[in-house]
Amino acid sequence: MKRDGMLYTVLFTFIICIVFVFFLALANELTKDRVAANRRFAERSAILSALGIGYSTPGEVDSLYDAQVSTLKTDAGLLYKVTIDGQPRYAAKVAGPGLWGTIQAIIAVDQQVQRIEGFQILSHNETPGLGGRIDEPWFKAQFKGEKIGPQGIAVRQGSGKGDPDPDNSQVDAVTGASRTSQSIQEIVNKELTIFKTLRDKGGLQ
Amino acid sequence: MSAAKKRGPAAEILVQNLWWNNPIFIQVLGICSTLAVTNNLTNTAIMTIGVSLSTAFSSMSISAMNKLIPNKVRMIVQVLVISFYVIIIDIVLRAYLPDISRSLGPYVGLIITNCIIMGRAEGFARSNPPLLSFWDGLTSGFGYMAVLMLIAVVRELLGFGSLFGIPVLTALMGEAFTPWTIMIMAPSAFFLVALVIWGAKTMQENMKIAAKAQQGGAK
Repeated sequence: MKRDGMLYTVLFTFIICIVFVFFLALANELTKDRVAANRRFAERSAILSALGIGYSTPGEVDSLYDAQVSTLKTDAGLLYKVTIDGQPRYAAKVAGPGLWGTIQAIIAVDQQVQRIEGFQILSHNETPGLGGRIDEPWFKAQFKGEKIGPQGIAVRQGSGKGDPDPDNSQVDAVTGASRTSQSIQEIVNKELTIFKTLRDKGGLQ
Repeated sequence: MSAAKKRGPAAEILVQNLWWNNPIFIQVLGICSTLAVTNNLTNTAIMTIGVSLSTAFSSMSISAMNKLIPNKVRMIVQVLVISFYVIIIDIVLRAYLPDISRSLGPYVGLIITNCIIMGRAEGFARSNPPLLSFWDGLTSGFGYMAVLMLIAVVRELLGFGSLFGIPVLTALMGEAFTPWTIMIMAPSAFFLVALVIWGAKTMQENMKIAAKAQQGGAK
């Protein structure tokens, strides 16, 4: 058969595509469970951290999660609930637009929706070193115990090292990442409004 | 080139790809990823290993299949082979190094469009045997890696004060260290690539002049 003939070209392209795609599908199939487990681990560890449950080894995450976290179906979607010292806490998965792509996060509040219990980032595509710093511990730790004001919270220009006052309903923005910080404020406040509505309707039990 | 000594083909390819014909500062290929990933050493290391391996394996495969590939669909087959290896790397990262996969995000997939890989497939693998093509692809990747790591050291050190995420300047100078925000952003890579090109070209010119003078003296 001629190498540049029509039939050979079509056959060759067809066969080579089948061979390569077969191996890709095989690799994907072989690692599917592992990838799913990684994703589940990332999500569960973020939910635990946001709800204020510490874990020392990655192996503990699954057992702690199964033992303590229950899910709650509400009008506003699925909530994750734990009870610590008799006080229930609720966490929700939220998503909203960042500067470059979707930011996914976990936000946890108390039953009266007076304080944020925790904040964790699940995924984002912000600039590494600028907007990407929202995933750094100092930024996320500012939210813990922060008082929720009538307008929610404000992410505003401060020292850029973290706002230590939990009662002013403010956290420090990331220096050099005003728009990412603005996005975080919008994502958090939108969810806080949902939590408040749910509380007023008696949905947080 | 200027090196008067006789080298075997493998050693010659190594020297060419690392220095005399470096993909970044001579061929000026793969610049997009140079700008994107070099503000962090860990990402740079993983990315450049990925590029080296996919260049090596795609060059080898294309060289091995070369006699079978119809001319009309040559480029299409090359892209298919390159994407195959890159997606394999992406799958391996997602399964075994989820944190790195997360922080590299879309960049791994973009290895497919790295001009170095296609350049080596077209320029070398088509007319050379598989093993030599593998070596050529790997060393081209190393040439790329050497330059990117150099730029990443400067950018991470000045932009974050750390190396491989371990605090260095921040630990030594404490509060006195102010991160250079420009180093974190893409424009700084432009300046650094330009400095590297300038420095490397000047050194190569000097080496050529020195080699010529030596030859003249020997006569």
